[in-house]
Amino acid sequence: MRLTDASVAIRPRSAWEALDLGVLLARRHAGLLMVSWALFTLPIFLLLSLALWRYPGWAIFLFWLFKPAYERLPLHILSRALFGDTPTLKEALKALPRLLKPQLLASVTWRRFSPTRSFDLPVLQLEGLSGQARSQRLVVLGQRDAGAASWLTVVGMHLEGALCFGLIALLYMLLPQQLVVDMDWQKLVEAASGDWLWLDHLSNLIYALVLIAWEPVYVACGFTLYLNRRTALEAWDIELAFRRLRQRLTGIAYAVLLAFGVLLVQPSERAWAAPDQAPATEEKDPQGPEADRLLRQPLTSKAAQESIHALLDQPPFENRETVTRWRFGEEKKPEKLTKQDVEGFAKLLKGLLNLAEFWKSLDTVALVLEVLLWTAILSLLAWIVWRYRDWLAAFAGRVGLPVRLERQIPNQLFGLEIAPESLPDDVASEAERLWAEQPRAALGLLYRALLSQLLHTHRLPLKASHTESEVLRLVGQLEQSELESYSQLLTAQWLNLAYGHRLPEQTLRDRLCDGWRQLFGQEVKA
Amino acid sequence: MSEQTPEQANSAPASPAAPNAASQRQRASQLAQALRQELQKAVIGQQAVIDDVLTALIASGHVLVEGVPGLGKTLLVRALARCFGGEFARIQFTPDLMPSDVTGHAVYDLQSEQFKLRKGPVFTNLLLADEINRAPAKTQAALLEVMQERQVTLEGRALAVPQPFLVLATQNPIEQEGTYPLPEAELDRFMLKLRMDYPEASEELALVRQVTRSAKADMLEVTPLRTLLQAKDVLALQKIASDLPLDEQVLDYAVRLTRATRSWPGLAMGAGPRASIALVRGGRARALLRGGEFVIPDDIKGCALAVLRHRVRLAPELDIEGLSVDQVLQQLLDQVPAPRL
Repeated sequence: MRLTDASVAIRPRSAWEALDLGVLLARRHAGLLMVSWALFTLPIFLLLSLALWRYPGWAIFLFWLFKPAYERLPLHILSRALFGDTPTLKEALKALPRLLKPQLLASVTWRRFSPTRSFDLPVLQLEGLSGQARSQRLVVLGQRDAGAASWLTVVGMHLEGALCFGLIALLYMLLPQQLVVDMDWQKLVEAASGDWLWLDHLSNLIYALVLIAWEPVYVACGFTLYLNRRTALEAWDIELAFRRLRQRLTGIAYAVLLAFGVLLVQPSERAWAAPDQAPATEEKDPQGPEADRLLRQPLTSKAAQESIHALLDQPPFENRETVTRWRFGEEKKPEKLTKQDVEGFAKLLKGLLNLAEFWKSLDTVALVLEVLLWTAILSLLAWIVWRYRDWLAAFAGRVGLPVRLERQIPNQLFGLEIAPESLPDDVASEAERLWAEQPRAALGLLYRALLSQLLHTHRLPLKASHTESEVLRLVGQLEQSELESYSQLLTAQWLNLAYGHRLPEQTLRDRLCDGWRQLFGQEVKA
Repeated sequence: MSEQTPEQANSAPASPAAPNAASQRQRASQLAQALRQELQKAVIGQQAVIDDVLTALIASGHVLVEGVPGLGKTLLVRALARCFGGEFARIQFTPDLMPSDVTGHAVYDLQSEQFKLRKGPVFTNLLLADEINRAPAKTQAALLEVMQERQVTLEGRALAVPQPFLVLATQNPIEQEGTYPLPEAELDRFMLKLRMDYPEASEELALVRQVTRSAKADMLEVTPLRTLLQAKDVLALQKIASDLPLDEQVLDYAVRLTRATRSWPGLAMGAGPRASIALVRGGRARALLRGGEFVIPDDIKGCALAVLRHRVRLAPELDIEGLSVDQVLQQLLDQVPAPRL
């Protein structure tokens, strides 16, 4: 590479100006670039289409995936053309197999989705770097112009889309009207039969054609961005300026040198050698401070140096600390670049292994993520259940979940103590005793005892919300006429007393108490 | 709810000083029973609705009857008007009805050269507002004042409507096109909202048999009904009902029911204090209708659905699930403890 041969003016440019230069470069060599691109890609496209005739989507996807491989040819042409050595079409195509070999697998798999594809390509192809060296180089290069390179890719995607749609629309407008109507119907009717696959392949072909126009521009822009970055990094412009200076001054330099020499060559009064003066900067000077001295003493200069270095290596002169961190996966081992075919094959295998390892490390990450997500979902569910527990409680009865199959018999109902233990052993006698002075307590006792019997002996599902009449209706469902009539009598008396504030008649005392004994007496005693 | 407890006859009145009141109460109860039987002649089946309408009449509250067409909503009201000797007016609510068509307005009399007040159909004892939701909101609002305060303000003068005053409105729940839903304030003024459901099979048989026998092709006759009570009888009934003794516990039960609707999870909006008042008055009326001499919790519980169903709003979630207000209120009634002493 000789910078002086460059066909463009080398000077530091802004990123956008560099892109502009790329467009200009692509236009200057448009014929060669487009023809070579078409000759390379269209056969591949045809092969893919024929092989995957039933699956036009897969065909265009594969074609799209291999784009980085096609881009190597235009870059080769451009890199030679930049320094005036434009290859012929034949030469370019002959160089193609050699160009395709390095790192093809990486280019079409995980590096395929890099937004700075065309900017990175020269590092791989022209500098021949791979592995660690490549990524370090990319970091250095990408410090400034990576943004512009990403924008180039984004704009390129849109441009491809616009051109595709434009071409399709143009074709559609060229169709006669009757044919359009007919085609719509045909397409509707025979969409399933597969007779219209050629239409899909036609749109694929349009994409391939659009790429012929756009891809050389894309590659050229990436290339000039790369050149621009290197110009800035390696000061090519200054180097060029110096070279021009040298060229201009070469003619007169001899004359000036001669004159200068004549001026200098004068008989000197001290024409002998200079006194013994050691050049201080010489590294291996036997007399220098680095040399071993004081060899016959217990403390040689070397030992002293070593102890000084040891001291300087400790705090407070040096503060070393060891930091342990977690890292994602394993780092890629540096790949060695060889040019032999056997090793190239080995590298392909290695690349495959790398790909597998890449996925394996992703598996671990995925597992961790999965565990995290499940934990989050479970805790969210638990939180929701807790947060809306009132709602769930309200709905549980309606949904009909078997909430409580065994019903808890309440000890206290309607504000009355109705547990059997809280009642006296002989309810009837107790009621008779209370009747005279506390009729209310007597009747209350009887009613309480009745409810208790209904709940515990007859297992009636009484609830707090049941009114007296509803209790009576439930008793009616038991179909025990004696119990029913007794309950009616007692409930009526109880209602009279409780809500009507009317005392029961004395005559009823015996009726109620005897009725009680008759109905429940035996059971209580038993 | 109409079971008569035979034991009540045995019990002596609480205070011997009011034997007159007791006999009056008995007479009133008999009158109410007779009215119920007379109405059942005209309206076959629908006994619960008849009871509720009578409850409203005795409690001097207004009624909103809701049901699909052809269940006899209007017939029930016409039959009631027939049995009742007072004035009866009917307004068919239409989309172009004006407020002045309801309340009345001033007209210029050319001969006397003066404005004369012309009273609207609202000045009556029994007002049937048929298909009330077909009139726009401004016309519906004409009823607000008269329903709550029993007076109409016309040309700046407040005119009292005759007593007793009872509005019976009907509406159709399925046809929503071109109707105006009643606003909350209007709904709250109705003491009861009744749902008319399809009659039982046996009742429908009897109904069809009776209608096809009558001269008017597809209508039940209300003409043979006897006029049982006059306006002053209704006022007396209302007076007797409001004097029925009410225990503190029962009052507390009514208030607890209303308050429960305000914090119930399935209800977005609870009922106001008017609901408690209507519950107590409805309970008294039902006690009289039952023939009881005091109010028991069953009376309150019996009219709770009709009192509460138009005063609460269902939570949107339950609405989407397809639950009705009645189902949610039934849940509520099942969970609010009844009073005991």
